[in-house]
Amino acid sequence: MTGIDEPLRRRIAVVSAGLRNPSSTRLLADRLGEAVGRALGDRGAVASVELVELRDHAHDLTNMLHTGFASPELQVALDAVQGSDGLVAVTPIYSGTFTGLFKNFIDVLPEGALAGHPVLLGATAGTARHSLAVDHALRPLFAYLRAVVVPTGVFAATDDFGHSQGVRQDDDVAPLADRVQRAARELADVVLSSSRPPAVDSFDDPTPFEQLLRGGGPAR
Amino acid sequence: MASVLILTGSPSTVSRTAALAGHVADDLVAEGHEVQVLHLRDLPAEAVLTADTAHPSIAAAVRAVIAADALVVATPIYKASYSGLLKVFLDLLPQSALQGKAVLPLATGGTVAHLLAIDYSLRPVLVSLGARHITTGRFVLDAHIDHRSGGPVIVDDATIACLDRTSAAFRAELRSPDAQLSALAAATA
Ligand SMILES: Cc1cc2nc3c(=O)[nH]c(=O)nc-3n(C[C@H](O)[C@H](O)[C@H](O)COP(=O)(O)O)c2cc1C
Repeated sequence: MTGIDEPLRRRIAVVSAGLRNPSSTRLLADRLGEAVGRALGDRGAVASVELVELRDHAHDLTNMLHTGFASPELQVALDAVQGSDGLVAVTPIYSGTFTGLFKNFIDVLPEGALAGHPVLLGATAGTARHSLAVDHALRPLFAYLRAVVVPTGVFAATDDFGHSQGVRQDDDVAPLADRVQRAARELADVVLSSSRPPAVDSFDDPTPFEQLLRGGGPAR
Repeated sequence: MASVLILTGSPSTVSRTAALAGHVADDLVAEGHEVQVLHLRDLPAEAVLTADTAHPSIAAAVRAVIAADALVVATPIYKASYSGLLKVFLDLLPQSALQGKAVLPLATGGTVAHLLAIDYSLRPVLVSLGARHITTGRFVLDAHIDHRSGGPVIVDDATIACLDRTSAAFRAELRSPDAQLSALAAATA
């Protein structure tokens, strides 16, 4: 239990699957991470935000898919995600859905690793035409993972980044800054109301990837 | 006769998905089609991950996709969806890479609970890449595949029958007037 003077500490992991540098996915990931940190601060908690840039682990992810084992660097990233109290996951949209790099990361997560885990989903694409990808492609994936995904998913098209807060566009979509804040508040609320104990061993008995690879499947 | 490229998306060296693809390849070859198989795990990882289309192996793989009249796309189901390895490769293809082509989606998985993953996750990606016609896909339970003994690959009678229908429908599509028109268009383009 937390004492009177001891602040509530919450760890947020931010996963960005952008491939290019600079990356609008990274930009959105940073904005979401900051906004979640602020929202937690507004609620009296002290947040630490840890970024996992998947591009830096691309090679280790492939190795892990082949061998079942994580490099020490990748293990740090996996621990940051699994040990967090809340996850922000952001991917570019390619062919209407998450990238292969993003999926490789999901593939190596131990079975059950994100069960009950508060998650905020974000995605970027060149145009607004793929806005539905968050709901159509990302949500079902996280439904399988049994994550607790907040209602607002944040999709950002290239054009979105310029728009200022509070000003609605012609199509009456709330500007990006507003959507970021709304989603961040939702995640902060779930993180703080979550009955899961904060910190590392909050997932129950996950099947390690190496075992999945050998056995060929999750628990039936 | 059509040229068919088979993509397999399992990271495993000994793969049920690859075995299933081989089973369907045999049907295609028996009917006189020209079949090429590309196991995506064999591509140089670094080049795939960085979408280095200038790398000779990647360039050849992309050319093979574009040159094929039709594709079979076979993936293991991971976390209720196609594998990341398959998607990493699809991500480096030009946006219209499947234009004009017939595609047969195949998947293997550990639980029939994920049978719909073919239709809800893989099919939309193939549509997005411009596939002309995606024939009915087939999900095969991993327990029904013998990928190690070297004997018959499909070890369940009902699955053999289902797979025969799937494969026959795809082969019929390869002979269709639409397919011949697109092949002609590709040849003269
Ligand atoms: C990391 C991992 C995740 C898996 N997730 C699923 C799943 O969500 N649904 C399913 O039906 N099977 C799942 N499986 C089982 C595989 O799809 C199945 O064993 C498949 O036939 C393996 O194909 P392969 O031998 O070509 O690699 C998973 C296997 C692994 C290694």
